[in-house]
Amino acid sequence: MGFEEVYLRYAVTLRKIAVRKFHIPATEAETLVHDVFATYFLHAASVRAVEPYLIGAICNASRHYLRRADAADALFCGETPCMATPDDTLLDEIARKLLLSRMLAGIGGRCRDLLRRYYLIGDTTQAIADALESTPATILVFLHKCRKRALAAYHSLSEVP
Amino acid sequence: MEHIPESDLAVFAFAPDTVPEPRRSVIARHTADCAPCRSTLESFAVADEDLSDSDVWEPAIGSATRDALMSYAARIASEDREAGELLRPLFDAPAKAAWTSLHTQKRFLTGGVVRRLSEHAHSVCENEPLDALTFADAAISVAEALPNDAYPAKAVYELRGTAWKERANAQLLLGQCPEALESLNRAERAYRHLTSASLGLATVALVRASVYYQQQRLDEAAAMAERAERGFAHLGDDDRRMTALHLRASIKFEARNLEEAAALFRQVIEYGESMNNSHWIARGSNALGKCELHRGNLGEASVHFHKALALLREIGPANERISAEWGIAKVLLQTGKRSEAIRRLRDVAAEFESRGMVTDAALVGLDRAEALLALGQTRQIVDLAGRLFRVFTDAGMLTGALTAIAYIKEAAAAGTLTPNDLQTVRTFLRRAERKPDLLFAPPPRKDR
Repeated sequence: MGFEEVYLRYAVTLRKIAVRKFHIPATEAETLVHDVFATYFLHAASVRAVEPYLIGAICNASRHYLRRADAADALFCGETPCMATPDDTLLDEIARKLLLSRMLAGIGGRCRDLLRRYYLIGDTTQAIADALESTPATILVFLHKCRKRALAAYHSLSEVP
Repeated sequence: MEHIPESDLAVFAFAPDTVPEPRRSVIARHTADCAPCRSTLESFAVADEDLSDSDVWEPAIGSATRDALMSYAARIASEDREAGELLRPLFDAPAKAAWTSLHTQKRFLTGGVVRRLSEHAHSVCENEPLDALTFADAAISVAEALPNDAYPAKAVYELRGTAWKERANAQLLLGQCPEALESLNRAERAYRHLTSASLGLATVALVRASVYYQQQRLDEAAAMAERAERGFAHLGDDDRRMTALHLRASIKFEARNLEEAAALFRQVIEYGESMNNSHWIARGSNALGKCELHRGNLGEASVHFHKALALLREIGPANERISAEWGIAKVLLQTGKRSEAIRRLRDVAAEFESRGMVTDAALVGLDRAEALLALGQTRQIVDLAGRLFRVFTDAGMLTGALTAIAYIKEAAAAGTLTPNDLQTVRTFLRRAERKPDLLFAPPPRKDR
């Protein structure tokens, strides 16, 4: 697995663990995730099991950040099983979001941009309408069509063949 | 029942307050009863919530973290390529003085060079520990010359830690135990700069356990091996965890805590069987055979040795296979089949000798001497000791082992040799392998 593939597969999980399990602010969690991957990339060849390594690493990095554990005891995260181990609910959510990510890649640039402005950036329909020289009502119609298209794509991806 | 149109469900999921009554209540009641409409509504609701999560968008639109890491990954790949080309001609000449001045040449001052050197040290360590030490030293000199901020997240300390750890590995195999411990301290100090140093620290614990084991500090060795084992377990690194477990079992065996050792070796076998891994089944069985042999359970020992032998004949390594054959010969010796045991021990010694494993060959020779002594064939013990003396001399091992073997020869010739003498020499040879400067002292006469 290449570095980018590893990153895309596990970055979400690591962020969620840092934020949900250790209650680390999202921006700080982002830095921790970056640092975990930066170290991993340097000795990836010596890592035999990527997922538990990365989960252990974000656990240690989070504990380090919180200063709950002395770095001198940071051989492993301390608990058995490691408290960072994601539970089924979190794993389901991550799987769903990874699927949504794939779906977003396949719904076309215009829909993706519209949904991004509305959901990710938090623009109002008025702001989007202004930017696109349209009306809020039209934007609502477009949003609905894009959501429907996204949902269809999501369902087709999530259907078991 | 008429279903609710998807467009209404989408609006209801997205902003229920914007749906006027009584339509809002109709949708709420309908979706409570109608599974397909409820499923669609939930899909809309989930999608709406999830679409606000930046993680969902990262693969499609990228992120600053992803961009930074991918550019960093490209830098690492490029450094590795360049280091491979730079170092290839030098790897063929480990004795060259160039290795000592690597860090003074700017083109060698990269993380790629450190990585390649550490990897190379690791790969040659078992067969060429002196060369491995040269490469590890060169890796350290370059790693220490790199700026602390050469990589993000203080990752340069990962390179430094690994280089020091490789130095310790080489020193361990060269019998330089105090120096190896000092190198491990340096490795640990480097790793502790990282926000997560689990793999590095677990590996340091494993090597430290091996050093303590070699120094016969068995309690500390066992504790350190257990620490490594737990570290690797947390990392999901089962193969390294087994290495640590096997080492801990060997330490228990060395301390003659045979019951615990046997239980741990059984865990190794169970792991091998659960993973269908012949390597661990063979190693565990061979070691468990030795445990049972020492416990006097000769039947069980024989079963384990034969199981190990069947696998080791197929997968190697040769030294483990010969070790299992040695175990079978010792079982025969203890069951009183001395002639058969002597024949097999001769073959085993010859195999060890042909591989330059002279101490093992000598230890097998002592087992043969024990059988010959029981048969009253002391003249053959004199010949055997003479031969062992030549083997050690030819190998350039002019250590206390020569004195010990000479002692056997003289005692056999004088007819005073006892099983206790053989055991004393056996213990000495095993210790002298780790400490070549050890002097041999014959057992006091009152013990004989």
